[in-house]
Amino acid sequence: MSMRYIALLRRFLQLNILRELAYRGNFYTQIFQSLLSLSFGLLGLAVIFDHTGTLNEWHPAQILALLGVYQLVGGVINLVIQPCMQQLMREVHQGTLDFTLLKPEDAQFLVSIRQMQIWKLCDIVLGLVVVGIALAHLGATVGAGQMLTFLVALVAGGAIVYSFWLMLATCSFWLVRVENILVIFQDLYQAGRWPVSIYPSWLRWTLTFLVPVTVATTIPAQALIGQLAWPTLLGVALFALLTLVLSRWFWLFGLRHYTGASA
Amino acid sequence: MGHSCVIDVCDLGKHYTVSRRDAGLKAALRSVVRRATSEVVAVDGITFHLAPGEIVGFLGSNGAGKTTTLKMLAGLLYPTTGTAMVLDYVPWRRERAFLQQIALVMGQRNQLQWDIPAIDSFVLNQAIYRIDPSAYRRTLGELTDLLDLGPLLTKPVRTLSLGERMKCELAAALLHRPRVLFLDEPTIGLDVTSQRRIRTFIAEYNRRNEATVLLTSHYMADVEALSRRVILIHRGQILFDGNLRELAQRFSSYKTLTVQTPDAVSSLASFGEIISAEEGQVKLRVPKAATASVVQRLLEECAISDLTIEDPPIEQAIEQVFA
Amino acid sequence: MRALLAVYRAQLKTSFLMYLQYRASSVLWLLGMILEPVIYLVVWSTIARANGWAVDGYGVGDFASYFLVLLLVNHLTDNWVYYEFEERVRQGLLSPLLLRPIHPINADVAQNLTYKWMMLVVMLPTAGVLALVFHPTAHVTWLSLLLFFSSLVLAIAIRFLVEWSLGLTAFWTTQMSAVLQVYYVALFFLSGQMGPLALFPVPVEILALVLPFQWMLAFPVQLLLGQVDQRAIVLGLVAQAIWLCLSLALMTVLWRHGLRRYSGTGA
Repeated sequence: MSMRYIALLRRFLQLNILRELAYRGNFYTQIFQSLLSLSFGLLGLAVIFDHTGTLNEWHPAQILALLGVYQLVGGVINLVIQPCMQQLMREVHQGTLDFTLLKPEDAQFLVSIRQMQIWKLCDIVLGLVVVGIALAHLGATVGAGQMLTFLVALVAGGAIVYSFWLMLATCSFWLVRVENILVIFQDLYQAGRWPVSIYPSWLRWTLTFLVPVTVATTIPAQALIGQLAWPTLLGVALFALLTLVLSRWFWLFGLRHYTGASA
Repeated sequence: MGHSCVIDVCDLGKHYTVSRRDAGLKAALRSVVRRATSEVVAVDGITFHLAPGEIVGFLGSNGAGKTTTLKMLAGLLYPTTGTAMVLDYVPWRRERAFLQQIALVMGQRNQLQWDIPAIDSFVLNQAIYRIDPSAYRRTLGELTDLLDLGPLLTKPVRTLSLGERMKCELAAALLHRPRVLFLDEPTIGLDVTSQRRIRTFIAEYNRRNEATVLLTSHYMADVEALSRRVILIHRGQILFDGNLRELAQRFSSYKTLTVQTPDAVSSLASFGEIISAEEGQVKLRVPKAATASVVQRLLEECAISDLTIEDPPIEQAIEQVFA
Repeated sequence: MRALLAVYRAQLKTSFLMYLQYRASSVLWLLGMILEPVIYLVVWSTIARANGWAVDGYGVGDFASYFLVLLLVNHLTDNWVYYEFEERVRQGLLSPLLLRPIHPINADVAQNLTYKWMMLVVMLPTAGVLALVFHPTAHVTWLSLLLFFSSLVLAIAIRFLVEWSLGLTAFWTTQMSAVLQVYYVALFFLSGQMGPLALFPVPVEILALVLPFQWMLAFPVQLLLGQVDQRAIVLGLVAQAIWLCLSLALMTVLWRHGLRRYSGTGA
């Protein structure tokens, strides 16, 4: 059963690579932009640490690790989540979602994997490089256990972000004209450059429970530098499962509305 | 009727609530506080049945309810009233086995990937519809022949002309050999040659595969070329369901007389309305009931070398209905 | 002149109606603009608290007042039309604008002003609420207020012209996203969006003097908060006047050349 999904995933990947190869210029532009984005982050760090030794007990190397995670997760979001959700909203607006609904495959699966901006891999690679450098600076021994918690935190964070975006995009079934509703996440994601602990409680709460920025950036970074407690990791994992279920339900609810079933 | 029907529609209806707003600044500000809505009836309780292998033309002006009906039968819309069964499935349950056997092609709307050659989109469809590789090759070969696709498949879709794109769209939709084909204005916007080619293809496909075809159009030529049966829909209701010829006969209250005569044209004016007049040939429009008496008088009073009695073109018949 | 005013009145009304229709989207766009100064306000305050309650003379209250004023000035000087230029050029949307008997920039000016005015309804209360949360300290005098408004008008004009010209580069390149990103990075650091320019290393401060970014945003903010001495006030206003002329010249030149290129390749 899952073999089918993997087979389809591979097909879509092939399709998207083919499509991007048709525009080779974009590759060089993307590298340039990824490097520029990274420099932007590093410059900011440089300015801040010119004036202080630590930021809320986060040392420069640790903030660097956070920046790496920020870049990495941002890359994953821009690779597949953002293009898919944007395409979904566009199709709802133009009425071309019908074609996807006619296919004999689960519509949520199709709309969630079909669009990929392959060149965003640059961001992911750069993010990993920065994380590697930060870990080297920290000199700390990063054991297998820590790596595992990091991966779990990343995957859970990714799942929560995906569910959030899906729910936002599903809103377009009702509010067909709010196409830039996705900007809510993109604006608030900027706050993920810095450890969430520096923000006032109301902002911290928003970034954790309303818009999933904390779980995408700070928490995986904390796992990486060994500051993530087991209960928190477990909580995040459970929250991830919860949001996946919730977003699936909301999607099906929205689909019934789109096809005119009185809800 | 039961199982001998491929498409079985009973009292199907669809209502929408839309929000209204008048023009101007005051109305705009008012709508911020209160939203006015009105109800639109797209489809108003229609009933019809299709047998396997039939091609049926669904005719009607814009907004008559054709596309809405098609969407309900393809499972894209829930109806407000009534029932429908396609291939013994309830369409809007969108069961996998149902979707595997139908196809919907909408004119001027693309499902092919824009930047890459059509063949790559076909391969994707093969995966999604789980088409066996040998069956896929066979079908693709057949479609390439019928539609003359050869050189088109390897060019990026955005470089194709509208007619070529439409052919590729049709091919993509038929790769899984659907038993029921819904076509929504498939020839709209195409040049005459492309239109003719697509009509020929659909007829041939229907003949070879016994596929049931329901197509909507507001081009009379589409329906005349493809189907003997026509369903006329107007303001969400079915006005006519039957033979094309019957349509002309029932809805037209006139007959056209083509008279070949050396007599002056003006002398024929008393027999009926003159539609056209050329050297020696005059076309008259005569009320149906009076045809016999007019013909008798013509034969008695004029020197007629030839006389033909015809039904008026279908367009006129339909125009009169919608008037 | 009267004709132009009539056009503006009609244009303003159309823009107003449009934004009323898209009111949810319009408010959403403000989110990022409000959040960014808040983020950096918190970052600098955190640093200040850990380092003796001040950074280079800026206390927590000073940061609060700086960023809240920045919030409003940024809103009033902000533009977004350069994002649309790529699409305008590529899809020939510029052509209907060129058919009109007035310069296309007028439509953009009207739309821009309408949005900013309408959204003050959201921005001013928001700034007020944030003031209650972050406790800004400021010494505002009548003189500084007067200077502020004069400088603000200049800043709005300079930033609009520079950024409209930025949009015009779409005539020459298809990689607009890269161009815009470079601009955004420069703007962020050199216009004071990250923090008061005095906190940056000296080379950066010098760079900021020469480039227009400071004169688009940071200067009016500092004027209002009385953080500029008399000589610098005069120099600053002169710099703004110079940049106004420069940006006008830049826009004119780029427009003429860009248009020639656009009509050359077929609209």
